[in-house]
Amino acid sequence: MKIFISGLYSGTNPQPGIGVARSLRAAYPAAKLVGVEYSNRCSGIHWEDLDDVWLQPAWEYIDLSAYSRRIKEHLDEGGWWISGVDLEIMWLASVFPNGHRNLLTPPASALKRISKPAVEAHRGLPLNIPEFISTEQPDWDLHAFCREHGWKVWLKGPYYEAVRTSSWDAFERVRAILTNAWSTDRLFLQAHVTGYEESVCFCAYRGEIVESVYMRKRELTEEGKTWAGEVTDVPESFSGPLRKIVGELNWTGGAELEMVRDAEGKLWLLECNPRFPAWIYGSTITGRNLPAAMIERASRIKAKKQEALSHEFTRVVLEIPVLDEFPLPSLAEPYPGGIGHSLKHPSGTLALAERLQKLQIIEGRANNHEEQSHDVSTIQPGHGNGNGNGLNGRVEVLNYPEVPTTFIDDLKNIDLESTPTPSWLFLENTATAAFQRASQMAAKLSTGRVKVTNGYSIKTNPDSRLIRLAREAGFLAEAISLAEVEKAFDIGFTPQQVVLNGPGKWWPNIPPPSMPLHAVFSDSLNDFARILGSLESRELQAKIVGARLRPPGTGSRFGISLETPKDLMKFVDMIKALPRECVFGVHFHLASSNIGVRQWWQLYESMLTWCRSLERLSQRSIECLDIGGGWFPDDWHHKSADKLEEAIDRAANALPNLQQIISEPGKALAQPTMALAARLLEVAKSKDAIEEVVVDASIAELPMHFVQPHRILHRSNGGEWLPLGRGKTRLLGRLCMEHDIIASNVELPRSVRKGDVLIFCDAGAYDRSMSYEFGRG
Amino acid sequence: MSLVVDNQSVQIEAITNIDLNAALMQWRHSSPSLIAHHGKACCATAREWLFSTDHSQLNGEHKLMGPRWVRRKYKWGPSQWPMTWCHAVEQDGLDCGALAAISREVFTVRGVDCHSVQLIQQYSEETTSHWSAKWSTHPSSTHWIQGALIYHEACGVQVRADEIRIWDPSAACWVNPNQFGGYGSILALRLTTDTVGVQRFSWGHHEITSKEWQLLDRKH
Repeated sequence: MKIFISGLYSGTNPQPGIGVARSLRAAYPAAKLVGVEYSNRCSGIHWEDLDDVWLQPAWEYIDLSAYSRRIKEHLDEGGWWISGVDLEIMWLASVFPNGHRNLLTPPASALKRISKPAVEAHRGLPLNIPEFISTEQPDWDLHAFCREHGWKVWLKGPYYEAVRTSSWDAFERVRAILTNAWSTDRLFLQAHVTGYEESVCFCAYRGEIVESVYMRKRELTEEGKTWAGEVTDVPESFSGPLRKIVGELNWTGGAELEMVRDAEGKLWLLECNPRFPAWIYGSTITGRNLPAAMIERASRIKAKKQEALSHEFTRVVLEIPVLDEFPLPSLAEPYPGGIGHSLKHPSGTLALAERLQKLQIIEGRANNHEEQSHDVSTIQPGHGNGNGNGLNGRVEVLNYPEVPTTFIDDLKNIDLESTPTPSWLFLENTATAAFQRASQMAAKLSTGRVKVTNGYSIKTNPDSRLIRLAREAGFLAEAISLAEVEKAFDIGFTPQQVVLNGPGKWWPNIPPPSMPLHAVFSDSLNDFARILGSLESRELQAKIVGARLRPPGTGSRFGISLETPKDLMKFVDMIKALPRECVFGVHFHLASSNIGVRQWWQLYESMLTWCRSLERLSQRSIECLDIGGGWFPDDWHHKSADKLEEAIDRAANALPNLQQIISEPGKALAQPTMALAARLLEVAKSKDAIEEVVVDASIAELPMHFVQPHRILHRSNGGEWLPLGRGKTRLLGRLCMEHDIIASNVELPRSVRKGDVLIFCDAGAYDRSMSYEFGRG
Repeated sequence: MSLVVDNQSVQIEAITNIDLNAALMQWRHSSPSLIAHHGKACCATAREWLFSTDHSQLNGEHKLMGPRWVRRKYKWGPSQWPMTWCHAVEQDGLDCGALAAISREVFTVRGVDCHSVQLIQQYSEETTSHWSAKWSTHPSSTHWIQGALIYHEACGVQVRADEIRIWDPSAACWVNPNQFGGYGSILALRLTTDTVGVQRFSWGHHEITSKEWQLLDRKH
């Protein structure tokens, strides 16, 4: 019996070939095991259980037609083929559309139904699929997905690779790497699930499960790969529906379902791999030799049975002799000044992915470019098909971000022809509507007992027009310095409408207002002591006096630490010292756009828990809560109303004497109210694409470009403002700074030319307030 | 498997490990550790801090997640008994009894039924001699060590009406019910419920009866 086994890579992210060979050798001592590999760098070719090695050139250079013919010859001659390479399995499914008796891999129809991330075939199994989003969606939506999941997300390649991306700039960086590596934009973001990793591995022949095992990981590598595990039987609650699905898929070959079990006991499916896992010999150790069982079922040749040596397995690192016929190749020369030897994917897996895409064997929609229009003017915002600008012939289906109509209406009122650039544009109607909406929301959320009042964070954008709108809409002014307090007074706020907080609130060194402020919140115990002293000396007056909390685990630098019991005790003593004529309040601000929406609400709940503790220990009621900070506009305006209502209910229930909630939406109000107009200074076009353009804006005007995407508008030949989709064009800033790249994945219409105006929306918050003078002489 | 009932003579069938029998004899009257309350603000503050910190550390995850932060905050080490809440939370290190008592309270405040679990664990004399030396430098007892065996405390976390998982707060992990024998394994345990509700629980393939020391067996 001759068995071909591919996937022999045995590095830190190993393929299953060696485990399969060891398992088969244990069951079939006389079988001829032929290792199939595509690089002599794969250490598995030297493994002692292999009788022969059929070494092919890297996938990039293989004559696929000739190779497929030779494989068929081997199969026709009675050889068996067990593949350990996902892409090879996909290719084989196309080479043998009707299968082959000796080819122990699943058919194309089955592969399609297990493709990531939805894994259609999971239905019926006691499994959930973690939330995901295709990276073909607009950046605006991807950013929203990341916020929703607290930036606990994985960016995954179409076949392999998953990288945690905990910030927008990390996401953009990894996306560029994976897109380039796998020659596709079809990646996806998936929400992280906290829990323990478990797997079900099975082998089947023509739709019938031959054997299956359950494996719980007991040790993992830093990359999350199995290093040790415990193997048990698959419970009937799982194996029953699995049998049905395998029958429907007419599955042949090995397979692994990779899952996470959360604290509640729910199972979440991460991937379904169409092959044995690399730990498969671990199962053999426990007396469950799946590769042998599959060969036995397919060949009807009895396998030698092996007793279980343990119900657990672990790994070690082994040094083995190198075969004379495959001497080690030389290491690649490091790039000058580089670190390491850049030897990833020596067998040309990436090239195989690209070839299979071109052959339409994977990603069916790819390579339709000859039938697609390249005229971007036909593309309607918000609807599917984009062209493949700069994609070297690859066509991608990318959507465009939705842009509020008020943006466009405001732009129509601005004479851009006579506007020098770069220039900040105040979107007046958008701004007015935002403040009015916030005001209406506060009124709606107020109850007979608890009044909800908005606060405008002056630092977010100290533009007088916005502060004035805030005053007119009944906001309080939230200041972080006495300078900001003066600015609020200049606009017309009274002291009773000002909230003062932050670690540097007493800067600059001028006397605080003589009239009582609405609220003052301390940022540290020392600050609280100073406030108590100022109240006693009548230097400071305030209706509400309180403190900003820093519950453990927030990672914030602000507020009074509650890290130790002593911290809590000191804080409680200070609260007890607060004059009875002052209302006690608690201030809780964290940027939800940074920590994620869900996380923000979790911390809110945590903050209420601390508030209850403070009330019980100090015997002082908390009558005011000041909450908010750093809300992304969409999260606030479109998604928060119900949550806020619930949050206010919970606060009112938790704190029986609560009277006021100051809601400070932060950049949710300011961000949409301004845009940046810029002109193209230079357009670098190649035959197929616009590779780069230089604009007269820069990172000095868009300092938040690495934190959030900006929707960018361009006026079509017909005079219509259209959002730009994602492409490959880089927008370079005007500065002579290497990192002055304000967008690197923009799709510009072929018709653009020097002098065209681009509008960078969503720039009214910290882009505006933290912009700086640079390169202006 | 056979059971030994507290305050009764120990009858262990088919046991070849004399040490285990002796250990059971020594520890069978030990009660689960309890932390006392001064009845004053000091202990009230300590407990408020503990439970609010746990809420923050849980970070919105499911209430059945093990409170790993407790072990990160407090090293495993000798403790002085009797112990009060205000004393416990101020320590750098706590023994298994204190860690288990704290974790039990944490689970209970989360709304999870949690019971005390006493264990006899097997290590090696080489290992226990190091622990013995460490404990001997502290005004606390080494009564919990007997040869290669140790007395240990953990939490029986009720995940369903009649099912528990065992959280080992000293190791900050869930105990694997499938393991039997060997270094670090559990040879015997006693779960003690404070309630009058369910008194028999499954833990993996084991059937656990409350208030009775029982030896663990290999999975059939």
